[in-house]
Amino acid sequence: MKKTCFYLSLVSCAVVLTGCATKVREVPLDRSTATTRIEPQDIRRTVEKMVESLLVAPGVKEFVSNRRPVMDVEPMQNRTSQHVDMLSLTESVRMQLLRSGMFRFVDRSSTGTAAVDVERINQENQLGLVDTSKAVKAGQQTALDMYLAGTLSEIKNQTGRTTDQYYKFSMILKDLKTGEIVWADEQEIRKASTKPVIGW
Amino acid sequence: MKITKHIIAAAILASGVTGLSGCRNTSGTVVKTDHQTGSSSIIEENGRLAHRLDVVRTTYDEVNGLKRVHIELASNRSKRVRVDYRICWFDANGMELDPQTKTYRNLIVEGRDTVTVTGVANSAAAVSSKVRVRETSQAE
Repeated sequence: MKKTCFYLSLVSCAVVLTGCATKVREVPLDRSTATTRIEPQDIRRTVEKMVESLLVAPGVKEFVSNRRPVMDVEPMQNRTSQHVDMLSLTESVRMQLLRSGMFRFVDRSSTGTAAVDVERINQENQLGLVDTSKAVKAGQQTALDMYLAGTLSEIKNQTGRTTDQYYKFSMILKDLKTGEIVWADEQEIRKASTKPVIGW
Repeated sequence: MKITKHIIAAAILASGVTGLSGCRNTSGTVVKTDHQTGSSSIIEENGRLAHRLDVVRTTYDEVNGLKRVHIELASNRSKRVRVDYRICWFDANGMELDPQTKTYRNLIVEGRDTVTVTGVANSAAAVSSKVRVRETSQAE
């Protein structure tokens, strides 16, 4: 009887202790939706869809038919109440477009990039270490042909225990020379969650 | 004694049910298309999904020098079917292009409805595609 009690308490102790341990594991990048907030998989899907839409746009065809136009991707604007790393999203868009090989890129829009370039050129030349005949002079950077801009907006509705969240990613590609919009598209995401009757 | 046996049987049954519900069948339907020869093959790895969703047609074209594939899916159920799909692209050597950037996109197919999913290769090097469809409930 004593032995049985001992084994039982041993097993129950093991069960309790196992329950206390924090489980950490890698999960797929495209896991199912867990919250009504913007999640990594939403960003990944949106970026992929947007890039695909841009690459096959008829307006883009005119630009890429016989050359690789120079593009700048502006940091996208976040008009939602959530904190979303829009710079990271912008970089993902640029990365995927870069991989297509259809465009050339400059980075003028990221915070302080243009100023940093000027400062570096000046610094190099002022240090006196560089061969003056080979020194880079300001004013030789590639000119922009077009730029990409975008916004993320949201509409949130709450009815009783149900929260309905709507997000819209909008992007436009503009021809810098003519000011014409070459391509524009939007992707929508709608999520809903219902709180349990008893719960926190 | 009889009660003990019943308790043991119930416990085994309960643990069996718990164990099985923890298992996820992550296989699905795969549509492979060779954009050079035009050959296409459908592999149905998940019986439940194959019963719910049919691959009706596979078509492909080229836009701005990039390959594009269209897969027409038809629901066999009168209820809504939720699936995820991912389109991967391969070069002439069979190497997958940018596997990390290709994501599972969600798709809601209404009862008895037919939908077309489209994917574009983000590289001119792509020559074949693979569309993988899985049930949304299989996503972790």
